[in-house]
Amino acid sequence: MSEKCFFRIFLITLLFVLISSPSFAGRPVLMMATTTSTDNTGLMDYLAPHFTRAAGVELKWTAVGTGKALEFGRRCDVDLLLVHAPEAEKKYVADGYGVNRRMIMFNDFIIIGPASDPAGIKGKKVIDALTGIQNRKIAFVSRGDNSGTNKKEILLWKESGFAIPNREPWYIQTGQGMLSTINIAAERKAYTMTDRGTYIKYGDNKGGNPALKIMVEGDAILKNQYSVIVINKSNCPEARYDLAMKFSDWMAGKEAQRLVGEFKLLGKPLFIPNAN
Amino acid sequence: MKERPIYQVKQLVHRYWQEPVLQVEDLSISQNSIVGLVGPNGSGKSTLLKMLAFIEKPTSGTVFFEGKPVEPFSDTVRFQVTFLTQTPYLMKRTVFRNIKYGLQLRGDTDNIKKKVYESLALVGLSGESFAHRKWYELSGGEAQRVALAARLILKPKVLLLDEPTANVDVDSSRLIREASLRAREKWGTTLVIASHDLEWLSGVCDNIIYLFRGRLSGNRKTNIIFGPFTPLPGGFYEKNLSKGQGLVVPRPPHENAAAVIDPEKIHVFSKEDLTPSTGKYLRGIITRLVLEKETGNIAASVLIGSFEFCANLSHKQSRYSVLYPGEEVILSYDPGDIDWR
Amino acid sequence: MEYLLEGFIKAVQLIIEGDDQTWSAVSATLTVSGYSMGASLIIGIPLGFFLGYFSFPGKTKIRLIVDTMLSLPTVFIGLLVYAFLSRRGPLGDFGLLFTLPGVAIGQTILALPIVIALCATAVEAMDRHLRITLISLGASRSQLVLTSLWEVRYGIFAAALTAYGRVMTEVGISMMVGGNIKWYTRTITTAIVLETGKGMFAMGIALGLILIAIAFVVNLSVSFARKK
Repeated sequence: MSEKCFFRIFLITLLFVLISSPSFAGRPVLMMATTTSTDNTGLMDYLAPHFTRAAGVELKWTAVGTGKALEFGRRCDVDLLLVHAPEAEKKYVADGYGVNRRMIMFNDFIIIGPASDPAGIKGKKVIDALTGIQNRKIAFVSRGDNSGTNKKEILLWKESGFAIPNREPWYIQTGQGMLSTINIAAERKAYTMTDRGTYIKYGDNKGGNPALKIMVEGDAILKNQYSVIVINKSNCPEARYDLAMKFSDWMAGKEAQRLVGEFKLLGKPLFIPNAN
Repeated sequence: MKERPIYQVKQLVHRYWQEPVLQVEDLSISQNSIVGLVGPNGSGKSTLLKMLAFIEKPTSGTVFFEGKPVEPFSDTVRFQVTFLTQTPYLMKRTVFRNIKYGLQLRGDTDNIKKKVYESLALVGLSGESFAHRKWYELSGGEAQRVALAARLILKPKVLLLDEPTANVDVDSSRLIREASLRAREKWGTTLVIASHDLEWLSGVCDNIIYLFRGRLSGNRKTNIIFGPFTPLPGGFYEKNLSKGQGLVVPRPPHENAAAVIDPEKIHVFSKEDLTPSTGKYLRGIITRLVLEKETGNIAASVLIGSFEFCANLSHKQSRYSVLYPGEEVILSYDPGDIDWR
Repeated sequence: MEYLLEGFIKAVQLIIEGDDQTWSAVSATLTVSGYSMGASLIIGIPLGFFLGYFSFPGKTKIRLIVDTMLSLPTVFIGLLVYAFLSRRGPLGDFGLLFTLPGVAIGQTILALPIVIALCATAVEAMDRHLRITLISLGASRSQLVLTSLWEVRYGIFAAALTAYGRVMTEVGISMMVGGNIKWYTRTITTAIVLETGKGMFAMGIALGLILIAIAFVVNLSVSFARKK
C-alpha cells in the first residue's frame, strides 16, 4: 500500500461516514424528559408505540432525575416533562417555565428493609419509622440525587422533626438511580425508600423473592403523583408546544389511562391512572 | 575555454543559535570535478554539504548553481543535486521502493524494475536477493549502499557524499568508492566528498578543500594542534604529544587558540641522515606516503604519540633519502613558523 | 458471579438473533465514533504534525495545554458541550442536542488532544535524517510532509487506535449530550448504564462483551492493514 493509496482510502472512508449519517424519520418528533422510574420500569417503552400510532408523532425521551428534567425544560431542550415532584412542579409552573400541569397517574412510595427489621419499624406510620431508624442509627440508603424520590424523602425527614441526615455514618447517599439504590441497600442490609413500581420491577428481577421486604406503606403522605407539564411557549418559543399538548391530551385520555392501568409486572400494577 | 563553475558560493555565513558554524567568502566548484572536503569533526563539512545540497538556507550569502542563485526546494536544482548522509536513512518500505522513490517523484517510472536492479548492481547488490527486503533486513554497509543506489538511479548532476565510508565494512567501503567514481564516468556527475580518508581523496580528487572551524583553510592539508599548551621557561609553550616529546610553540594568543603548522615547514630526516642544523626536533614513525595528484608532491604522515603530522617531501629529498612506512624519522621545525587560529 | 456466564450467553444470543435494540446501539456507537474519529484525525494529524515538526515560540506551552487536555473528564466535556448545544446555549439554533452529531462534537473534543499529542510525539521521534534524505531525493514541500507522515504511520495508527478506544468506551458525553434516547442516541455504553440501572446486570455484561468484540475487530483490521 503506498501513501497515495492510503490517503485515498482514508478520504473515501471519510466521505462514506459523512453521507451515511442517519436522517430522522419523516414524522414530527416530540422530545420529552422523564424520570428514571418511568423508563426503568419499561412504561415508556410500552406506551410510546401506542402514542405514535394514535398521533403520528415520534416520541423521544431522555430519562434523568427530576431535577435535571426540570432544568432541561427551563433551558428549552425538551418539549415536555413527565415528572413526580409536586411541590417543585407547582413552583415551576408558577415561575412561568411550564403550563398545563396535568396529573396522570400515581403509585406510592414505600419503605423497604431486610426481613429481620433491625429498627423494628414494620407496620408503623412513616414518621415513626424514620424516627426509629434515626434513633437506632440503622443503615438507610438514600438516592441523594435531587430526584423526585429524593425530594420526597427529604420532605419526610423534615416532617419527622429531625435535621436532614447528611454525614452520619448510617446514612448512605448513592447518587444513582432507584434500582441501583435498592441493590445497594440489599447489599448493605439497609432500609431505603422507593416507589412501588421500581420495587415490583426489583422483585421481578429477583425472581419474585426479593431480599428487601415492604416495611411501611399506605400512608397518605407516601403518595407518588406523576404529572405531565408542557413547556411554556412564552419562555421557549421554539418548543413544539402543539405536539406536547397532543401528548398531554393523549396521556390524560381514555386509551392511555387504560394502558397505564394494564401495565403490570408479576401480576401487580405499577402505576394507577388518575387523570381527571 | 574556461568552463563555468557548477557551484559558486559567495559571502556565505551560517549560524546555529547565533553561533557561526560556517563562513565561506568565495568558493567555486567546477563542472565534472571531484572535490574532497577535509577537516576535523565539527569543522563545518556537513553544514557546507547541506548548503550545497540546498537543504538549508544559509543565514546570509548566496549559493549559485550554474550561475543562478538558488534556494531550497527550488525547481531548478531539486532534481539535479542529491546528497548522501553519513548515517543512511532508509524509509520504512522495501529496498525496491526506497530506490524507486526519487524517480517516482520525477514521474519517471518506465522500466522501473530494470533501473532499480541496475543501480543495485552498481553498488554490488543483487536485485533478486535485495530488492524485496524490508528496510530493517540490511546490515549497516548494505543500507549505506542501498542509500547510494537510491541516489545513483537519479543520474544526478551533483552527488554530495558525507563520509560515505565512515561506518561501513571494508567491502562496502570499496564498492561505495567505486560506484561513486562510476557516476562521474557514466554521467559526468560532479562529486563532492567529505571524508577522513585522505589517501582515497588524494588519489581521486581534482581539488581538496580544507575546512577548519567553519572557514576554508586553503587547498592543502595542514597540521592543526589543539591545546592545552603548558608554559615552558623562556616564554615558550608546549603541547605534550607522547611521553617525553612535546611540540614547542610560541605564546598562544588566547585560551582556545589552535596551533597551525604548514606541512611545507616540517622537514623529514631519516635517522641516518646528518643531524639538521636549526630548529626543534620530534621523533616519529612514518605511517603513509601519498602522492598528491594535483601538485605532484609526496605527503608523508608521521605518527607521534596519537597525533599524525603531515609533512611534504620535496622532490630532492625524496630522491636522496629512502623513506618507507614503518621507518623511524626525525621531524624538524621552527617554532617561529607556527601560526594561530 | 452467575451473571458473567449468563451475560456471555446472552451476548452470543443477541448477536445471533440480530436483536433490533442491540443493533441500533451498535450502529449508533459506530456512527458517532466514526464521525468523531474522522473529525479528530482530520484536525488532529495536521496539528500534531505541526506541533511535532516545527519549533516556534510558545511550543512548550501549547504542548502543556494539549497534554493537560488528555485528562479532561468525559462528564465535564459532556457538560461543556451541553452548555453550547442547549437551546439556550450559543449554538442552540443548530438543534444538535440529543443527536449523534452533537455527541460526536463532544467525542471529538475528547479524541483531539490524544491524536495531537501522540502524533506530535511520533513526529518528534522522527529521524532528522529523514528530512535531509527526502529533500535530497527531490521532494517538494508537500511531498516532504506527506512522506514524513507516511514514515510515522505506525505512530499515527497507534494514536488513532488509542483515541478510538477512548471514544468508543466513553459514557459521560453520550449520556449528557445524547440523552440515551432509544433508537436514536442510545449507544452501547449508555445502554449498559441503563441496563445496569434496571438491574439487568447480565444484559449489561452482554453489551459490554459486544463492545469489546467490536474493538477487537477494529484492532484486528488495523493490524492487518499494517502488515501490508
